[in-house]
Amino acid sequence: MGTIKIGLGQFFCLTVLFELGTALVVNLGMESGRDAWLSILVGCVAGLIVFTGYAYLYRKHPDMPFTAYTRQLLGKYIGTPVAILYIILYINLAARDLRDGSTMLAMATMHNTPLFILSTLMLLSGAYVLHKGVEVLSRTSVVFALVVMLIGLFGTIMLVLSGSINLHRLLPVLENGLQPVLVSVAHQNYMFPFGEMVCFTMLMPYLSSVKKGPWVIAAGILFSAILLSFTMALNISVLGEDIVERSPLPLMPTISKISISDFIQRVDIFVVMVLIIGVFFKMAVFFAAALVGISELFHMPFRRMLYPCALIILFTSMLDARSFTEHLDEGGGLLYLVYPFFMLVVPAVLVVMAAVRAHFSAPRPG
Amino acid sequence: MKSWSNKHKQATAAAPANQPAEGGAPYLSDNFARNLDSMQSELGGSPDLKVRRIQIGGERRIEAAAIHLSGLADTVAVNEFVIGSLLGNTEDLFPDDTDDMVTARASDQAAQETSHGDGAASGTAAPAEASINATAESAANSAAKSAPMFTAEPGTGRSPLPQLILNRALEIGDAVLQEEWKDIMLAVLSGDTVILLEGYRTAIICETRGGEQRSVSEPSSQLVVRGPKDGFVESVATNISLIRRRIKSPKLRLEYMKIGTETQTHVALMYMKGIAGEDLIREVRERLRKITLDEVLESGFIEELIQDKTFTPFPTIYNSERPDVAAGNLLEGRVVIIVDGTPFVLILPAVFTQFFQSAEDYSQRFDIAIMMRVIRYVSFLVLILGPSVYLALTTYHYEMIPTTLLINLLSQRENVPFPAFVEVLLMETAFEILREAGVRMPRVIGQTVSVVGALILGTAVVEAGIITPIMVIVVALTGIASFAIPAYNMAIAGRLIRFAFLIMASMFGFYGITLGLIVLVAHMNSLRTFGIPYLSPFVPLSVKGQKDTILRLPLWLMGPRKSPQQMRAELPEYMQLTTGYDEQLSPLILKNNTAARQQAEGEQHETDE
Repeated sequence: MGTIKIGLGQFFCLTVLFELGTALVVNLGMESGRDAWLSILVGCVAGLIVFTGYAYLYRKHPDMPFTAYTRQLLGKYIGTPVAILYIILYINLAARDLRDGSTMLAMATMHNTPLFILSTLMLLSGAYVLHKGVEVLSRTSVVFALVVMLIGLFGTIMLVLSGSINLHRLLPVLENGLQPVLVSVAHQNYMFPFGEMVCFTMLMPYLSSVKKGPWVIAAGILFSAILLSFTMALNISVLGEDIVERSPLPLMPTISKISISDFIQRVDIFVVMVLIIGVFFKMAVFFAAALVGISELFHMPFRRMLYPCALIILFTSMLDARSFTEHLDEGGGLLYLVYPFFMLVVPAVLVVMAAVRAHFSAPRPG
Repeated sequence: MKSWSNKHKQATAAAPANQPAEGGAPYLSDNFARNLDSMQSELGGSPDLKVRRIQIGGERRIEAAAIHLSGLADTVAVNEFVIGSLLGNTEDLFPDDTDDMVTARASDQAAQETSHGDGAASGTAAPAEASINATAESAANSAAKSAPMFTAEPGTGRSPLPQLILNRALEIGDAVLQEEWKDIMLAVLSGDTVILLEGYRTAIICETRGGEQRSVSEPSSQLVVRGPKDGFVESVATNISLIRRRIKSPKLRLEYMKIGTETQTHVALMYMKGIAGEDLIREVRERLRKITLDEVLESGFIEELIQDKTFTPFPTIYNSERPDVAAGNLLEGRVVIIVDGTPFVLILPAVFTQFFQSAEDYSQRFDIAIMMRVIRYVSFLVLILGPSVYLALTTYHYEMIPTTLLINLLSQRENVPFPAFVEVLLMETAFEILREAGVRMPRVIGQTVSVVGALILGTAVVEAGIITPIMVIVVALTGIASFAIPAYNMAIAGRLIRFAFLIMASMFGFYGITLGLIVLVAHMNSLRTFGIPYLSPFVPLSVKGQKDTILRLPLWLMGPRKSPQQMRAELPEYMQLTTGYDEQLSPLILKNNTAARQQAEGEQHETDE
């Protein structure tokens, strides 16, 4: 994979921003009601288990992205189509993320700006950053991870100071037993956002340390899960379960509860900033994964397919649905039917293949 | 004669391609009068070329001439030490007396010359001007070349008179023998005095540079409240002495180069041996050597050609006119480039944080220094984001503004016919015009600018209902913020970026600003300065590196400060790039790369033949 290597701290930040992405502002895991924060944590555990599989594959092939070892493990004739399918998946994920992000932005603040313009701007910025390389993307993520943390800290302190937090709204915990939590995990949380880590299999060859790398990413997943869970708990304790469930972007009304002596008020623009940063990095990571796949599969320079790929993502995001409702509907369908195949089934098959291969090719004692 | 032509051929092969295509021979001729003639004609009979013809020696008189350019040379030195000693000390210098000493002396002299050459090369022994006279190579060359000539003076069997004069008569501190025409002309043009002797192909070059120069005075662009008040001047020798006076260490090394085919500007490269990284020095030397430019009039010419990346508003090489800053940076392992004719020296590599440091930070208490630094960073943020955040707030996100203030704002905007974006753009442009005019304006009428700026643009524009008062506040704030940044070139970069953010904010509000910030940070992350990431030590994060960035820890906590070399050594191996992005170097250097390669190939062919 060339000589570019990315430090562990940068990968940690990239993972955190990727996971927070859109998940931070939407009503994640609300199927389990006021126990959403719990279902996120359980979902994270499930996501970590899935990630162990990815990490295993990475350890076996530390220099190859996912699309390369599919071909090695499945053979050229099955592996290549699978690799192409994965590239399509990444492009699709990037496009869906772009659509999510720009629609949410349009809902939140930019009421009059056409969706297409919003998406184009976001995508052009992403293309610029990727033009500078994946390394630059990861280094940029360090700065913005810091910005997101600061905004989070500021928001929390301000919410505490303005006295809007009522922890009783979180009670009773597990009112209806464990079942709703598990249902929510099974429906959504193991896949979104933690299952999407599959695209990191494309970037992991850039890790500077084979040994510590997966641990750092796992730590990033855990850290972001704790942040997400905390944010969800904060939303519920400020707004109450009812409002959070019906609000598409519950973090916005939560933050807008901040009011300190009529001076600091309506700071929900910070939430919009977090949303923009999250969407940007999530989309950029998917975009980068697709580009790495294309350049590896077709032996092309990384930058050559940058703008064609950007166009594909842009139009996929604009044309995949006529309205946001349809988009969400499609998303639900994909989440149940398509994504598990890519994020669980194929990697599982690969893990089995790799294990078998390692078992038979390993030099045996005696 | 055969050996002569051989040497000639060698010399032309070795000479750089930029040798002036003059008609004259590359060496002095035997004929004294012809030498004088050709020298005068090459300068176009310029009236400031002073030729003083004298006769030296006791009974056997020999024609001699001392040649210098008036104004460039120090008249006292020329009169008293050159001409004076030629007339007064040569009575007993009879070539024939010393026949038996010739061989010994010549080899003696060769050895002496060589050691002189070494001294110049390492830059420790010879004083600054000495090594200006003849760069290390040319001194060594002349030594090697002159040695055989003196032992076997062609035909006549006479002893080497120039050598005798040099050794026994001249009362001047620094003088060398020279026979190459080009070097002699360069010496005359630099203010040295050349002594030509009848019947000899060797000239004596006496170091008599002088003439009028600005004296050391307080730097005009980088002021401090507390700290040394001397600043660099236009003379490279004075500048070097200012630094050497601060660092009395044998580790301080100096190298000379001449850059500019027409201007032949002296460029000095200074570094601390053992502190600055060897590969950094090699890289700087290499890039400097690749420059083939006609003129180098200011260090900016050099900066533009050797920086890592051309297309960026951010400076990646620091410049300073303060010797204490230069000395401090030398001790931190950076390289200083001094260009003759400008008080601004280049300091490299320079990361982003360096542009927010001032020499004064180290003379104030550390807590106060930290506060001043934080203020500088804040003012940089205000500079690039101030007007755009105002625009975004008032145009897109007015719900964030406290209600009473919002009502106030809106009532102000009632009377203004323009959208806020036009308002900002008008005001910012007016401010930039004012600033630019203020910089160029003669001091005598400088007051006018402030009167016009303050009264007309400040007050009248509001009263006329073109601009809201709060807009004046915003623009004034960003204007002042731009002056709070110690480095002028960083402030200019901020001004330029501010306009980009203005456009983004006017079209997309905070969305545009956030995306703009992402792109800006990514751009800065893609920059490197001589192999070091521009945003280090923030990205990649180094906790130890934070001692002297936004923070300025007290000296007892700072410990040995980290040199860029150490910073790079601490970077993991995969990040240790030296050359930066090769394809992003200045196009001129890249072109010269290919030119140099072609030339090298050409030479190879010649030697093959």
